[in-house]
Order: sequence, then structure tokens, then C-alpha cells
Amino acid sequence: MSRSPTRRRLLAGLGTATAGALAGCAQRLWPGTQDGPRQVALSIKTTPAQDDPIAAMIVSQLEESLRAAGVDAVREPMEQSELYRDVLVEREYEIFVSRYPDLDDVDGLRSMLHSQFVGEQGWQNPFGFSDPTVDEYLEAQLSETGERRRQTLAELFEYLLDTAPYTAIAFPDRLAAAASDFGLERPPRRPTDFLELLNARPNDEPLRIGTFRLSSTDRLNPITVDATNAALILDLLYDPLVRHTDEGLMPWLAETISWRDPAVSGGRLVATVELHDELRWHDGTSLDATDVGFTFEFLGDTALGEAEGNVPSLRYRGRESLVDDVTVLDARTVEVEFYGPTRTVAERALTVPILPEHVWEPRSELVGDLWTEALTVDNEAPIGSGPFSFVDASSDLIELEPFDEHVLRTGGVPGYDSPDPVTNSLEFHLSPGPGAVIEGLLEGTVDLTADWLTPEDVEPVETEPNVSVLHDQTRSFYIVGYNVHQPQLGNPNFRRVVSQLVDREHVVDEIFSGHAQPATTPSSLVGVKEDEADELVDSIVPSFPGSDGVVDEEQVRSRFEDAGYRYENGDLMA
Amino acid sequence: MALVAVLIELVLVVVTMLVTATLVFVGPRRFVTAVRDFRWRLEACALPLAVLAGVLFLRWATGDLLPQLSWRLLGSNITPYIFELERTVFSQNPVTVLQAFQTEVITTYFVFSYIYGYAFLLTFPFIAYFVLEEMDDLSTLLVAYTANYAIGLICYVLFIAYGPRNFDPFLFEGVLYQAEVFPASGYLTHTVNVPENVFPSLHTSMAMTVFFLAWLTREKYPLWVPVAGILAVSVLISTMYLGIHWLSDAIAGVVLALVSVYIGVHYSVEGVLESTKGYLIARFGRIGSESRRG
Repeated sequence: MSRSPTRRRLLAGLGTATAGALAGCAQRLWPGTQDGPRQVALSIKTTPAQDDPIAAMIVSQLEESLRAAGVDAVREPMEQSELYRDVLVEREYEIFVSRYPDLDDVDGLRSMLHSQFVGEQGWQNPFGFSDPTVDEYLEAQLSETGERRRQTLAELFEYLLDTAPYTAIAFPDRLAAAASDFGLERPPRRPTDFLELLNARPNDEPLRIGTFRLSSTDRLNPITVDATNAALILDLLYDPLVRHTDEGLMPWLAETISWRDPAVSGGRLVATVELHDELRWHDGTSLDATDVGFTFEFLGDTALGEAEGNVPSLRYRGRESLVDDVTVLDARTVEVEFYGPTRTVAERALTVPILPEHVWEPRSELVGDLWTEALTVDNEAPIGSGPFSFVDASSDLIELEPFDEHVLRTGGVPGYDSPDPVTNSLEFHLSPGPGAVIEGLLEGTVDLTADWLTPEDVEPVETEPNVSVLHDQTRSFYIVGYNVHQPQLGNPNFRRVVSQLVDREHVVDEIFSGHAQPATTPSSLVGVKEDEADELVDSIVPSFPGSDGVVDEEQVRSRFEDAGYRYENGDLMA
Repeated sequence: MALVAVLIELVLVVVTMLVTATLVFVGPRRFVTAVRDFRWRLEACALPLAVLAGVLFLRWATGDLLPQLSWRLLGSNITPYIFELERTVFSQNPVTVLQAFQTEVITTYFVFSYIYGYAFLLTFPFIAYFVLEEMDDLSTLLVAYTANYAIGLICYVLFIAYGPRNFDPFLFEGVLYQAEVFPASGYLTHTVNVPENVFPSLHTSMAMTVFFLAWLTREKYPLWVPVAGILAVSVLISTMYLGIHWLSDAIAGVVLALVSVYIGVHYSVEGVLESTKGYLIARFGRIGSESRRG
């Protein structure tokens, strides 16, 4: 698909010229028509309110603060998959506001910020940020431990307070609702939680999960980023070598993992992974060590060497990039050699989902210049090795069933009692919105909700006896991202002031009704929920220039003036 | 399943309204007579009916393609410009002004207008014009509907625009979707509507088309004019009151209605076919003779 930017811009210009000129926006559309300094103009991309009311409300605050500061700020709502496309694939945006899925470890910052990832797509440095100092800290923390790593991270956070390539607003609680007879306290999130729920169902009845985010046209592709609201389903379908559990990381497809420290293996950290015996893919093919080797190669280059340069996957790149080499020793054993991380960081790499070579290898074919079929394929009938396998998807239902030959059933995963065999299926009932899902719950046509609900969504059922509202704290966060290739946003002083323009405490009180934690420490401002390195940071986190969510015009303008900007007739000038 | 239940309810309510309106405006005898010799009536408007069906089919068949064409190639997101325009012209956005009047009774009325009133308004003219002595008015209606839909579709490809409720939840409420009166409406509207297709408001343009045609046929149905007028204006206001459309969408909808009615009155499918044929014969006939001469 070729998209000439000039043609696109021209068409966009023609289409909006009339309305724009009427609104006094001609200058905005044709910035070349006027020489000399002009008012700073910024567009904020986000989803429409029906897709994410929280993001839309955060944008409202930011937009209002920017306007009070004399910036010509406008918002541009767009469908989530198109937003992801513009931000994560095309990098065509100025500011965006969205929910970042989950920063699983401080090392996750590396793929978000290291200049090594600047040319990649997905959540790999979508800001275009490139700073040698940050690169140094990110590389140093890989191999450091204890106090030294803490010091490095503290310096990194302090530096990011000043440069602000993006900023976090708050960490929302995940809200859900379920029929109260399940006795749930928090929403199920791990595959084993779902198996337990199925066990609790009488007479092989399916577990009916109401969802409004998923559509049957969503991609079930685990390695791409646009048009995938299917993270939960993908997690049930695809298994990793080791899995995050409540007790920490647990070997999963791997039966054992033994580590050789750099001192004894020629300077490199090496993990020898032995798989469970007789593992199977959902289609019956056997899963062996070559699939593991293939997965790491494929995540790093989905073209498998056939393109000029690599075409990496859009997800799991940060984790895959820790791995230098994977050697298949025999059908059950692989040796994973790492670039230089400590063992704690290296373990992250083993949490990527393992892909079947016989399905994905043929998808390495190039599509266009820098895309492979693997990144664009819908993966309509996914084949994984997870505890659930895909049955069918229709316009209002996606059906999964328990996978009999899963390792939980056959070999057993240490730390888990092998669950009783279940035959009932998981049904995802697709509905038009949160209201309809909640209604289904009240009427008993669904058992629980799958998606993130807002406090406003669950409010009507809080007093219902048959329905329980479930809470879970998460590491997901609302992110405001800046494209540093845009003229104004290239200036760190400017970004730093913009990052202060949302009243985080007020957002948590008013928008989340308290069901979130504000990002107010140096580490949480970049999306690391809590890190003990914060204690070592000397700088003071700048406060919101105003109160109760309303920015104080004088204060914010003096902050921009301190950052080297000036005003003309109340407009912030570039 | 829920969609089916909602649809059945809609059909029941609208059929009741249609029966009542037919009894009042048309009369049972006239209706029965017309139904008895339905054949020539149908034949007389078969062509425009087929064209309307064709446009609807095209829409259905390209359901997946059009949004992609719009987002990735031809469309531009004009939502911010609509908002800016209205901010420049009004001290308070008209949608905000309307929503300030919110009470349960008013909400019920507008939800009713938006869903049932609209469906009734669109279907009753079929009956009204079908029973007439000549099928001219029915043809006009069909051509006007087709023009509405076709032009609307082109606009939706060219303009990506979200309604107030999707733009800023602080400023505008999505009243329809919170309405206690009809919570399942989501099943209906989400099946029919695409959230980024709000400019122009097809609800407004179709409703106003019916009203304008009612005005043109006022000698045949004098009582229908005020009823259609009140309903059409209610639909127009409801689109804004419910937070679905901007005033700009409604105005564009009225303009589209005028254009569609103009097309409906001045053009017929037969006429367009004839003149196209004439043009082709003239052009290719001439080229043919020129080349023979050469």
C-alpha cells in the first residue's frame, strides 16, 4: 500500500480548506503562507470518547491547559486501530494520548527510549527520541545490580524529568463486573484463572464473557499492534517459556532453566532451557526446540533475512533484543545467549509467546518495502500451544475451548495443581458498548466482563445483589506521547512544561473516582509504577501550575517564558 | 439476540404508527383499492426502486472497504474544524445549549423521535405516495432518497468526523447511550451507525426530505405537512440533543435534503438513462462518422 504523504496532505488540505478557512484556520492548514514567528499550534490525537472516555477526558484537560497557555491546541479523535496506525506505525502525529498496555519491567524503558529502536515500529521508541545520555543509562542498567543499578536508574529518571519524551498521567485500576455467585474478588487475568472458573461451571456450561472492545474482525495476530484488542485472548492461546504468575515468574513451556553466569561462559550470560516432553500445538503438530529458536529469530526479523535490513515484529521487540543467539541442542533443549543483561533482566526475554514455525515461517514473505505478511496477516484461526485453543469466530461470538494436550494437563507446571479436565468452552460475547455488557450481566446472559470498564460504567451495578464489581491494580498507564520530530516538540524545555499541564491528582479524583494511582514520582512519570530508585532522585517533581484541574494562566505562561518562549497578543509564539 | 428483540420492538411500534397514519391520512378504502392493483404501480416505479436497492446493496457490499478508503486514502478528519467553526460562531455550542434543557421527559421525547419517529417518517411516504393516481411522487421520493444516500456516502468517505459525544465528554453528553428509557438502543445504532460518519447528518437530511416533499404534495395530503414538519424538526433537534451530531451536520443535512429534493423533482432515472444514451449516441456516432470520413 503506497501512501504518498504529499498526496495525502493535499487531499486532506482540499477537504478541510473550506471549513478551516471559515474557522480562521487557514494559517494552520497552510503554514507556509505566513513568514516569521507564529502561534504554536498542536494537534492531539486520541480515540473517540465511546472507545476510551478516560483518554478523551485527559485530553480535555490538556487541551484546555494548552489553550490557557496561548497554544492553538486542537484534538483529533480517531478510531483506535487508526490511532495505533498513525502513532505506532506511520509515526504521523504531534501529541497522542492513549493507554499504554503494561510496562512489565524498568528495562521496558529501553525499547521505548533507546535510539537503537528509533527506526522501528510498534511501541519501539514511537517518539523518535534519541539522546546519548539516555542510551548510556539504559545500557548500563542492563548489567548492573543492587545499589549501582538503583543509582543509574535514579539518574535516568532525573534526566527524563528534564527531557520528557513522554509522560504518564495515572495508573488505572482495572474495573470489571461478574455474576456474584463466582465469588471473585478481582478480575481473572491469567489462563489458569479461567481454567478455575470453568471448573466452577456446572454441567459443562460455557463461561460467557461479555466484551465490547473486541470485534470478530479484530486481528488475532500476537506480533502486531494495530487492530488488536485481543490481548486477553492471545494470552490464552499462546504460551511462553516462562509465565508471570502471582508468585513471580514460573517455568511454563520450559520444564527447567539453568543459568551459566558470564564468568564461566566466556563473558556471556547463557540460559539452557529444557522443554517439557511431548508438547503439542493446537493443530496436533509437536512443539519442539526448533520452534523456540525460530520464534526468537522471527521476532527480531520477520523477513528471516530476506529483506535488506531487518523487519522486526511490532511487539516483544524489547525483550527479544536482549537475546544474542539461540542454539537448538536437541529436540527439547535450547541454549539462549544474552547480550549482557543480568539474569533478572534476561528472564524477561523468556516471557515472549512461542510461535509455531510451520505456521509463521511461510509468512516471512515481504509485502511492500518494509512489511512482511506476518505483520499484516489477520491470523484468523490462530494456532498456539496455550491452555485454550481457537474454535470459531462469528459476528457476535468468539469461542475457545480447553486444550486437552496442554502442558498443565499432561506434564504439569511446577507450582500448579493440575486442574481437573474441563470440556466447557470460553465464549466471548461481542456487544456494542459497556452499557449492553452490563445489561447482559444483569439479565444473566453473560457471566463476567472482559474489558476495562470506567467507574461510570460500573456505578449502576454497585448495589445490585447478583453482580459484584471487581478491582485490580495494574501497571498499565495513560500516556501522553510527543513526536520529537515536530518543530516545537523537539525542544525538551517545551515538552517539560507540556508534561506538567495535566493535574494528575485531580484526574484520579474526578475522572477515575479514585480508582487509579497518579503518576507523581520521577519513575512513575515515565510509567514505572514504583521504583526504589526514586529515593535517590534529588530533583523536585514540578507541580501542576494551577489547582483543581484548572490551570492558572499567569503561572503557566511564566513557565513557558522561563523555558525561553515569548508571547504576542496572548499567543505563545514559536 | 438482543438486536433481534430490539428490532421486533421497533417494527411493532412503527407498524402501529403506520397503520394509524394510513387510516387518518389515506383512508382504508383508498388503501385497499391501491393494494388491489399494485402491479402497475410497482411497475411504474420499478426502475428508481431498483436503483435505490442498488445503492443500498453497494453500501452493504463495501462495508469493510469504505472505512479503509476513507481513513487511509481519501478522507480527512474534519472534527476539529467543525468544533473550531462552531466555537468561533457561537459563544456556547448549540449542542451544549440544547443539552442544558435535559429532563427525563424531554430525553424520552427525543429518543423516541430519533428512533421510532425517524423510522415512521421514512416509511410512511411510501404508503402515502403509493396510493395516489399517478406514481410521479413516489418516483420523486425514491430518487430523492437515493440521492440522499449516495451523496451522504460520498461525504462519509471524504469527511471523517466524530459527533460531540465522541469529541469531548466534558462538554457534551452521549444522552442516547445513557438514556434509561431505551438502554438497548446501542444494539440498533451501533449496527446501523459508524461513529466517524456524522457529516452530514443523514437523519436530518432524510427527515427534511420527507418534510419538503410533504410540502410539495400539500394539496394531496394537507394534514401530513404539519405532522411531517414537526417530526422532521424533532429528528433534527434530537440528533443534536442526544449528542450525536453538531449543528454543522444538521445544517449540511438540510442542504443535502434540498439538493436531493431538487434532484428528485427535476430528474428521473428514465430521464437520466435517456439523456446518457442520447449523449453516447451523439458522441460515438460523431466519432464514428469522423473516423469514416478520415
